[in-house]
Amino acid sequence: MSVPGWVLRTSFFTSVSVAAPWLAAVVVIGYRRQARAVGCIAALLSAIASTVLVWKAPEGESLYETLMLLFSCLTFGAIVLLPRRDSEAGTIGGILVLLGSTLLAYSTGNLLVLLVAWILSIVPFLWAGWLRSRKWRPMVGLLSSSLAIALAIGFMVARTGVSSISHLKGQSPGGVVAFTLLIVAAIFRKGIIPAQAWVADAAESGPLVPTALLMNGHFGALLVVKLIVPLFPETDHLFPVLSYLAIATAVFVAIRALAENSPRRLLAFLALSQSACILSGLESRTAEGITGALVHWVVVTVSTVGLFGILRLLEVRFGENLSASKHLGLAEHAPRLAVSFAILGLALVGLPGTLGFCSQDLLIQGTLTTHPLTGLLLPIATAMNAVTFFRLFSRLFLGKRRTGFTVMADALPRERWILAGIVLFLVLGGLFPNATVIEHSSEVDVVDEAIRTFDNLNRGPSYNQGNQPVFYPVSPDTNRRMGHIVYRVAHGSDWARLGVA
Amino acid sequence: MNAFQDILVFVVVAPGVIFALFGLLWLLDWVPSERLLSWITGVTFAACTSGVAALVWKITSASSITVTFGSWFAVGTYHFPLVLMVDRLSVPFVALAAVLSGLIGQFSATYLHRESGFLRFFLLLHLFAFGSLLAFAAGSFDLLAAGWEIVGITSVLLIGFFQRRPAPVENGLYVFGIYRACDIGLLVGIFAMHHWAGTASFGSAFPTLTGARAVIVCLLLLLAASGKAAQVPFSGWLPRAMEGPTPSSAIFYGAISIHAGAYLLLRAQPLLAQSVLASSLVILIGATTAIHGTIVGRASADAKTSLAYATLTQVGIVFIEIGFGWRWLAVAHILGNATVRTMQYLRAPSMLHDYHQMHSAVGGRLSPTGKQIEEMLPGRVQLWLYRWALDRGHLDTILERWVIAPLLQVSAYLSRQDRTCTPSPTTIRPGRAVQVSAAGPAQRSN
Repeated sequence: MSVPGWVLRTSFFTSVSVAAPWLAAVVVIGYRRQARAVGCIAALLSAIASTVLVWKAPEGESLYETLMLLFSCLTFGAIVLLPRRDSEAGTIGGILVLLGSTLLAYSTGNLLVLLVAWILSIVPFLWAGWLRSRKWRPMVGLLSSSLAIALAIGFMVARTGVSSISHLKGQSPGGVVAFTLLIVAAIFRKGIIPAQAWVADAAESGPLVPTALLMNGHFGALLVVKLIVPLFPETDHLFPVLSYLAIATAVFVAIRALAENSPRRLLAFLALSQSACILSGLESRTAEGITGALVHWVVVTVSTVGLFGILRLLEVRFGENLSASKHLGLAEHAPRLAVSFAILGLALVGLPGTLGFCSQDLLIQGTLTTHPLTGLLLPIATAMNAVTFFRLFSRLFLGKRRTGFTVMADALPRERWILAGIVLFLVLGGLFPNATVIEHSSEVDVVDEAIRTFDNLNRGPSYNQGNQPVFYPVSPDTNRRMGHIVYRVAHGSDWARLGVA
Repeated sequence: MNAFQDILVFVVVAPGVIFALFGLLWLLDWVPSERLLSWITGVTFAACTSGVAALVWKITSASSITVTFGSWFAVGTYHFPLVLMVDRLSVPFVALAAVLSGLIGQFSATYLHRESGFLRFFLLLHLFAFGSLLAFAAGSFDLLAAGWEIVGITSVLLIGFFQRRPAPVENGLYVFGIYRACDIGLLVGIFAMHHWAGTASFGSAFPTLTGARAVIVCLLLLLAASGKAAQVPFSGWLPRAMEGPTPSSAIFYGAISIHAGAYLLLRAQPLLAQSVLASSLVILIGATTAIHGTIVGRASADAKTSLAYATLTQVGIVFIEIGFGWRWLAVAHILGNATVRTMQYLRAPSMLHDYHQMHSAVGGRLSPTGKQIEEMLPGRVQLWLYRWALDRGHLDTILERWVIAPLLQVSAYLSRQDRTCTPSPTTIRPGRAVQVSAAGPAQRSN
C-alpha cells in the first residue's frame, strides 16, 4: 500500500505538530481524566512531527523546525515533571494550548496567523485565572504586547494589503510606526526594560511550570528574528537601541536579583537576565553573536524549564514557603534534585563542559566586537547571575542539618529520567557543541550576509563606511550559498525562509 | 597520533572519565564502596603519573608535544581551538597536578573514612584533577579558561564540603563571587587577543601585541591571576577557603589552584615583556601580597590559616619573580612551595601530636627559635600592626563596605520599589519554619 503524497508534505507534519496539542487540550478539558497521559501523547506527537520537519528541512534552514522540536520535547518533559498536585486537567490543557500556539507562531509565514498564535499563547493565563488579581503587571505586560503587535500587524496589512511575511521582506511595511510598535511588543513580551517587572510577578503568582514555558517560548526574540530584522533592514541604525536596552536589562535585573529572597522571583530574574543576552547577541550582527544568541536561546529554554520544574517539586515536598534568606539544607533529603539543580543553573551561567559555556563564549565575542564598551557589561551581568544562582543553590540545598522528618522523596523515577535527559542534553551539547553550533551558524551566516547584501544592493557598497567598501568575512559554506541569495535579492524574487532562518 | 600524544590525552582525560562515570552511576542510584573508589582513584592517578613520567622523559629531547583535535566549535572567523600541548613550562605543572592528586586521593581514603561525603569528595577530586590538567596542558588561552573555570567551581564546592554547617557554605559563596568577578578579566582578555591578534594560542602562534593593546591584555590577565592566586586586594578569600577538608585545602591552596594564577602569568610572559607598566604592576602586587601575607600570617590563630598566609607570601614572591622575567626561578619556586605546603597542610591536623613526639624525643620543650623580626618595631607600631593583621589588612572590610554593600543597597532599593507596586503574596516571615512533617501535604500529593 503506497503512502498518499500529501502525507509526505511538510505542511502535513506542521499541521500535525500544531493541531495535536490543541485537539488534546479539547479532549483533556472535556474528558478531565488521564490528563497527564493525554498531554504526554500530544506533546510526543508534536515532537515526532517536528523531528520529521527538521529532517526534511533544507540544510541550514531548519531554525524554526529545531525550535519546534525543542519546545515540544520540553513540554513533554514539563508535563512528565509536573507534580501530581499540579497535573489536573486545567493546567495540562493550558500547557497544551500554549504548546500549540507556540508551535504555530514558530511555523507560520503569515502575519495574521502569527498574531492569532501570539494572542492564543496568553489565553490560558488570562482565561484560567492563573495570574492572581493582585498581579496586575503580568496582565498589563502580556496585554500591552498583544495590543502593540495587533496594531503593528494591522497597520502593515492595511498599508500593503499583504499578510505573507515572505512577500514583505525588506520592504519596511508600515514604516517607522509599525517598526516602533513591533519593538514595543518585543519589549513587553520579553520583559525588556522598562517592562521587566511583570516576568518575576508572573513567576511568583502564576503556576510555575506553565509560566516557565510561557517565558521560554521567547516570543519577543521570535519577533525580532522573524519580523523586525528581515522586514525592516533599513532601520538597522535603530537596532543598537534594542541591544542597549537588552544589556541594560541583563545588568539591571542581575543587580535586582542580588537581594531577592523569593526563589521563584530569583529564578525569574536569572532567566530574564540571561535571556536578555539573546537580543543583544542577535543585534550584534556578527556571526559569533547571532550564533551565540541562538544557542543561548536553547540553553536558557532548557535549563530554566528544568530549574523551575525542580523548584516546583521542592515546593510540593518541602512547603511553598521556601526562601533564600536562610539555609534549608534540602540536599540531605534530595541529593539528586540538588545535583540536577546545580548543573542546570551552572549551565545557564556558562559552566565549562556544558552548552552554556559555548553560548556565553560566542555571545561575549559577538557583543564585544560590535559594542566594545556596553558589551563589557554582558560578562559582568553573567558573573552577578552566577553568584546569585549559587546563593540560591546554597541556601536551598546546603548549610543546615535537617531534622524533623524521616522520609522525604528525592527525584522520583519519572522525574529522574527527565532531569537526567535535560542534564545529558546540556552536558553532551557542551562536550560536542559543533552539532548545535554549526547548525545555527550556517543559518545565521546566510541571513546575516543576506541582510548586508540587501543593504549594499540598495544603497551601494559604500553607503555606511564613507567611501570604503565593506568586506565581511564569511565561511566557505556561506560563500557557496551566497550566490543563490544575491541572485534572489537582485531579481526581487521570494525571500522565503531568509528571515534569520 | 604517536604514543606520547596518546599518553598526553590519557593523562588529561582519565580523571574526567572517572568523574563522569561515577557521577552517572550515582545518578542512577548506584553508590560504590569506599574501597572500590579509593582503589580506582589510586590506579587512575598511578597510571597518570606513569604517563607524566613518560612525557617528562620525552620533553627532555623535544620542545613540546602537541595534540590537535581541530576546533571545539567554530563560527565565522572565530574558532575555539581544541589543542593539548605540554612543553617545558607546562610539564612540571602537569606532573605536579597528577602526582599530588594521587597522593591526596590516597591520604583522603583514610582521612575521610566513613565521612558522609566520601563519594562527593572523590568525584570532586577527579573533576578538579581534570580541570587543572586541562588548564596546564591547554594549547591556548581558550582551553586554559575552560580548565580554570572547572578548578574554580570544584574549589568552591569543596569549601562547602561540610554542608550541614552554614559557615563553610557561605564562605564558598564568597570565594565563588571573587572568582567570578576576577574571571571576567580572563574572558575579556581572551576576547581582546582574538580581536586584536586573531589568535589566543600558545607556542608558535602566540598572539603578537604591542603598546597599549599588550598593556590592556596583560592587565586583564593580571586581574584573573590575582583573583585565583589570592593576591592583594583579593586575599580575603583565602582564610575563608580553609573551611574545606584538609586534603582539599592542601591540594587547592597549598599546591595547584593557588599557583594557577602564576602559571597564567608565566604563559603570558611574552606579553608581559612588552609592557613595563604591567610588569611593574605584577611586581607591586606581588610585593604587597608578600608583605601582607607575612604580617597577617603572624597573627593567625590556627594552623591552616597560618599555612595559607605562608603560601600567600611565597606566591607573592613568585609574582615578583615573574614581573622581573625570572621565569625558571619562578617555576622552581612554585614546585618547591607547592610540595612543601602540601606536606605541611596534610600534617596540620596532627601538628600537636607531632610536637609531642618531638618533645618526647628531645626530652623536653624545643628551644625557642630566637627573636621575631617584628619585635624590632616600636611598641605602638607593633600594636597597630597587630590590630591590622587581626582584621587581615581590612581587605574583607573594604571589599564588603565599598563593593558588596553598595551593590546590595541598590538591589534592596530596587526591591523595595518593586514591592511597593505589587506586594508579594508570599512574603517570608522571620522565624516561620518551612519544614513540614512526614505526613504533610507533600507526602500525600506525591
